[in-house]
Amino acid sequence: MTPMREVYWNIPGHLFLYLLFFPFLVVWAYGIYRHTRMILAGEPAAVLGSLWDRVKGVVQDAVWQRRIAKDPLSGLLHRSISWGFAVLFIATCLVALQDYFGIPTLRGQFYLYFMSLTVDLFGLAAVGGVLIALVRRYGFRLDRLLLPRLGWSYGILLGLLLIILVTGFLIEGLRIAATDDPWGRWSPGGWLASALFRGTDQAQQVFLHQVIWWSHAIVAFTFIALLPYGVGMHITSAAANVLLKNREGSGVLRPIDLDRAERFGAGAINRFTWKDLLDLEACTECGRCQAACPAWATGKPLTPKGVIIDLRDHMRLVYDGEESRKMVGGVITHDVLWACTTCGACHQECPVFIEPIPKIVEMRRHLVMEEADFPETMQAALRSLEERGHPFRGATASRTDWARGLDVKTVAANGTPEVLYWVGCAAAFDERNQQVAAAFTKLLQRAGVDFAILGEEERCTGDPARRIGNEYLFQMLARENIATLNGYGITKIVTTCPHCFNTIKNEYPKLGGSYEVVHHTQLLADLVHEGRLRPEKPIEGVASFHDPCYLGRHNGVYDPPRQVLGAIPGLAVKEMDRCRERGFCCGAGGGLMWLEEKIGKRVSWERTEEALALQPQVLASACPFCLIMFEDALKVKDAIGRTRPLDVAELMAQSVDI
Amino acid sequence: MPLNIVVCIKQIIDPETPMSQFAIDPRTKRQAPGNNPLVISPYDANALEVAIQLKEKQGAKVTAISVGGATTTTALRSALSMGADEAILVNDPFLAGSDQRGIAHALAKTICKAGAYDLILTGCESGDWADRAVPAFLAEELEIGYVGYVTRIEVRDGQVIVRRVVEDGYELIEAKIPFLAAISSDETNTARYAKLRDIMTAAKKMIPVWKAADLGLDPERIGLGAARAAITDVYIPVKESKCEMIEGNTPEEKAATLAAKLRELKLI
Repeated sequence: MTPMREVYWNIPGHLFLYLLFFPFLVVWAYGIYRHTRMILAGEPAAVLGSLWDRVKGVVQDAVWQRRIAKDPLSGLLHRSISWGFAVLFIATCLVALQDYFGIPTLRGQFYLYFMSLTVDLFGLAAVGGVLIALVRRYGFRLDRLLLPRLGWSYGILLGLLLIILVTGFLIEGLRIAATDDPWGRWSPGGWLASALFRGTDQAQQVFLHQVIWWSHAIVAFTFIALLPYGVGMHITSAAANVLLKNREGSGVLRPIDLDRAERFGAGAINRFTWKDLLDLEACTECGRCQAACPAWATGKPLTPKGVIIDLRDHMRLVYDGEESRKMVGGVITHDVLWACTTCGACHQECPVFIEPIPKIVEMRRHLVMEEADFPETMQAALRSLEERGHPFRGATASRTDWARGLDVKTVAANGTPEVLYWVGCAAAFDERNQQVAAAFTKLLQRAGVDFAILGEEERCTGDPARRIGNEYLFQMLARENIATLNGYGITKIVTTCPHCFNTIKNEYPKLGGSYEVVHHTQLLADLVHEGRLRPEKPIEGVASFHDPCYLGRHNGVYDPPRQVLGAIPGLAVKEMDRCRERGFCCGAGGGLMWLEEKIGKRVSWERTEEALALQPQVLASACPFCLIMFEDALKVKDAIGRTRPLDVAELMAQSVDI
Repeated sequence: MPLNIVVCIKQIIDPETPMSQFAIDPRTKRQAPGNNPLVISPYDANALEVAIQLKEKQGAKVTAISVGGATTTTALRSALSMGADEAILVNDPFLAGSDQRGIAHALAKTICKAGAYDLILTGCESGDWADRAVPAFLAEELEIGYVGYVTRIEVRDGQVIVRRVVEDGYELIEAKIPFLAAISSDETNTARYAKLRDIMTAAKKMIPVWKAADLGLDPERIGLGAARAAITDVYIPVKESKCEMIEGNTPEEKAATLAAKLRELKLI
């Protein structure tokens, strides 16, 4: 006998289903329409890159869910539920295929192996997934889900899913029991459910089957109809966001066309681009960004998740005409905006590629350029940038004082070198970092690299101005630098500062400045590899390497600094728990170097404590700002005698004995 | 009637010029500009802020004026972008080398030509020479009241109430307008950061340039020749420091030697 089951057994009026579905569909469509209109109220944004890459991205991150699975339990439950429902949905459609087109999906081997066994196993996995999700959400009380507030609609979503799954199995169980299905065991879920009805009257089973069948349909339709009205929206919006994700690096900010712009930055919700607004809709409130955020970890009011969901709720209120608060200063407070170090941890963590940094910077742009309402110490730094071309107010050195006695050539005097050493303001004006510039210079000289500096012609790259929100000042400085660099025909640049590195490498090309840019740790790693630098003098002890955000996360340079440290004899490198992609910010990025941290614990203290737990002799970094932060923090912790903060270049210089 | 406020500003070489970039031009006996940035003298920026706050509070027309070279337009543009309504530059080679009295004379004539005024604000001293003389000369020439080291100003019914900082607190002084106040800094008058829109508007504004002849300046009072005092020499003081290591075999011995040395130098 061919294995089979009857299509729509015991449901004579099943065609009525479509009529019943119609109102639910209308409710669903209205919800989708509403959200689409909200999103399209934003400013234009370009979607770049090939469609094929985008589709691959969807397979990787929406179907396979690579990023979600970075947390194994979340990965397990989310895949169970989403894949389970996908398979169940497909199976439901296949049933209809047999009924209307006569394709025999409910017959033979396919029926047994796929429609019965596989589908049931996926259904059971989905039940398991929903139960784990409920226990995790309401039992474990994870901070990242609970704070700043628990998304209320997940409870409803999960409840409906559970009802759909359980009623589905009950229907199958009743059918198996009532028809005494000889292949019932092939549907393990239904088989288990049928045990409940063993011994009951067949007429009763038939009646109950009809009642639950229709209830199951109504609950499923309700579920679909409600999707756009709560977090269920993420099934569509998050997938869309993965498809349309920004393909530029996380270290690149969007330029403003200053000649055409009528307003600067986002002072109101519709001043964001539609892609920004889609980001808001795509948020699943998983809170991974929050768990990784250095500001949140140290007691600041900023949580990237909070920013996204606050903006999302604000967008909906504005759409409905029910919002009385202003966005900047009301919905999102100044303290929130000035707590972000732009470290990019939130971008790294988000499973669906939401980007909080551009939103924060757009709001900062509004405060800085439209309102001129921002912290005074930052105003002083920007004014210094305008007047002196560097942000270090009160600096006593000139831009080239550090190079005195080192025989460093300038491009103006000696012509275009093979490599331009872009010193950066920190290494030029900050006393501690002048030592790094000197050490790196000696290494270049030792290795016989043909290099020169711009000297007094160098200006700040504009990174702090851009990240504080003064795009105008950034573009002014950038254009001036690009004119200088292009004027000399510079092709290759090495920087000791990851912020300069990121800005010149990733942000200057859009303004007409394209160069080969390397960070000094990359160049040093190459020079060691080529044997042009021979670190032979041992440095005994343990070094812990801190990944600068703009070197690591924003530019993916993780190995070169470790290769340089690894080449030094005697030096053992011990990693902190939060390293590489998950490195924890020093607290100085995003212009926060020029703001006193008044709320909560200092980010630099948190990071320094983490390093000190490894009892290293050296806290190595490769960024002038990290170095300044660690110098201060280690002094405060009274640990500077035991643990020295050093740049990778300084260690290399010691080891090659110069 | 809205107030008419005139703020006199001076453009100077960045007072934060690093030592290695600081040089004196032997010919003019002034700091050589070099590549150093030019900025509004800091207290003048405070004066601008006080004026703009008054404008915001009770309505006023703020005019920024400056005596200087062509580069001074950038300082006046900053003043406009901060919120000044008009700016006037007095630029004439005849004025070069004028002493404080000459500058005050040029400012006074400019103020009179510009129209009615109720309040004149200046910085209490310039960030380069710090003579503190121009405000007093100016008040004298305009024959109006003057108080220096003012940080806050209120204007009520033709009366001005100024807060003047003194060593151990402040004084409140009432006076009639028109009045001249030389402004010092406090936490209420830090110069504001200009909004981008205002910077762009300011960039398009006309800044009239007036000459000595336009103002009818007295040639006996302006220019290097009229200066009552001449600078004979300016030099950068040479600071010498010596380092002496205290010798001794034990910490006690070193301490005793150190104490003896300090006594010898009459430091203790």
